[in-house]
Amino acid sequence: MTATNTRERVAAALEGLTFELVDTRDGMLTLRVPSATVRTVLERLHGRAGFEQNTLVTAVDRFPEEPRFDVIWQFLSYDHNDRVRVETRISGANPSVPTCTDLWSGASFSERECFDMFGIRFDGHPDLRRLLMPQGYTHFPLRKDFPHGGIEPDRLYREWDAKRRAEWGANA
Amino acid sequence: MGSLKPADSEGLGFLATRVDELINWGRKNSLWPMPLGLSCCGIELMAMIGPKFDLARFGAEAARFSPRQCDLLVVAGTLTWKMAEAVRVIYDQMPDPKWVIAMGVCSSSGGMYDSYAVVQGVDSILPVDVYVPGCPPRPDAVIDAIIKLQKKIERESPVRRLLKGPGVIDETGTGRNFKQPNFAFDHSSLDLHPHDPKAKIEELQK
Ligand code: SF4
Repeated sequence: MTATNTRERVAAALEGLTFELVDTRDGMLTLRVPSATVRTVLERLHGRAGFEQNTLVTAVDRFPEEPRFDVIWQFLSYDHNDRVRVETRISGANPSVPTCTDLWSGASFSERECFDMFGIRFDGHPDLRRLLMPQGYTHFPLRKDFPHGGIEPDRLYREWDAKRRAEWGANA
Repeated sequence: MGSLKPADSEGLGFLATRVDELINWGRKNSLWPMPLGLSCCGIELMAMIGPKFDLARFGAEAARFSPRQCDLLVVAGTLTWKMAEAVRVIYDQMPDPKWVIAMGVCSSSGGMYDSYAVVQGVDSILPVDVYVPGCPPRPDAVIDAIIKLQKKIERESPVRRLLKGPGVIDETGTGRNFKQPNFAFDHSSLDLHPHDPKAKIEELQK
């Protein structure tokens, strides 16, 4: 299968939807789609174009531009041995995109990581908790306005420690 | 043995100092390490306990994975704030007397990970007896740390500690009355990191 065939297959699957082909340095077929139709695009790629595997969900913070976040999905098809990348730009205020965990259940952890690091909500995700940072942390480390040294990295530990000392008394 | 005078034996007499020496001799030659291999340094720790470097020569080869059976916590690796609670619980569960070695620059000072996720030195959450620099330190360096710790244990005064009751310890040992250093390290005093967005944000806010 050549890249041209991938493009034709994807274009056929996305018939009637607006998308823009982007040139990328790695040569992977990349579609830029408006955020309003991204869910339909993902459904079609899953159903009609036959991309069985989600390999990546991540984001790029374009701070201080607005709209601020590029959300990026990458998919793999075993049958056709090809890949596709989907990008969409969303606003920095209360950023959210629809989830794709019902289509590719393996996307669950990637979406949780993306939420953890960028604060992008994946609407409809069954269990959108932080993955790497402690539960209860309120900042998003991979955002560009997150300082290098972190924001209150020890707050949760100190709170836990104070509670422990209060419970155990002076000798703790 | 016998060459070092226990640090605070005044008023307790000759017998107490002899008993101190006996107890210290027993303690220092049978340290049971709790191997807390948090990342790469853990591999060197294993090498140290294994036959080639043979920590058994110093009586500290009985590594146990239950904190209840240990008296030496070796923090070998990068400690993150998320892990810090677990490490503190392990330390609390170890019975007194207990000592801590911070192995490697990561656990001594945060090392190269000047990051939001990493504890900048385990002394932010625990009292540390011996720091071992190196990334990772050679097993010999950690063995040297254990010998230094043995020298430190020689100077402790367990009898006096026993007579004074719990919570009172001699100044040379570690225990419950350490001062907890504050993590609140002022990053603003440093030059801006090249990727630090602070300058850009300030510029935008103008
Ligand atoms: S000091 Fe070096 S070897 Fe040890 S945990 Fe840190 S990075 Fe790894």
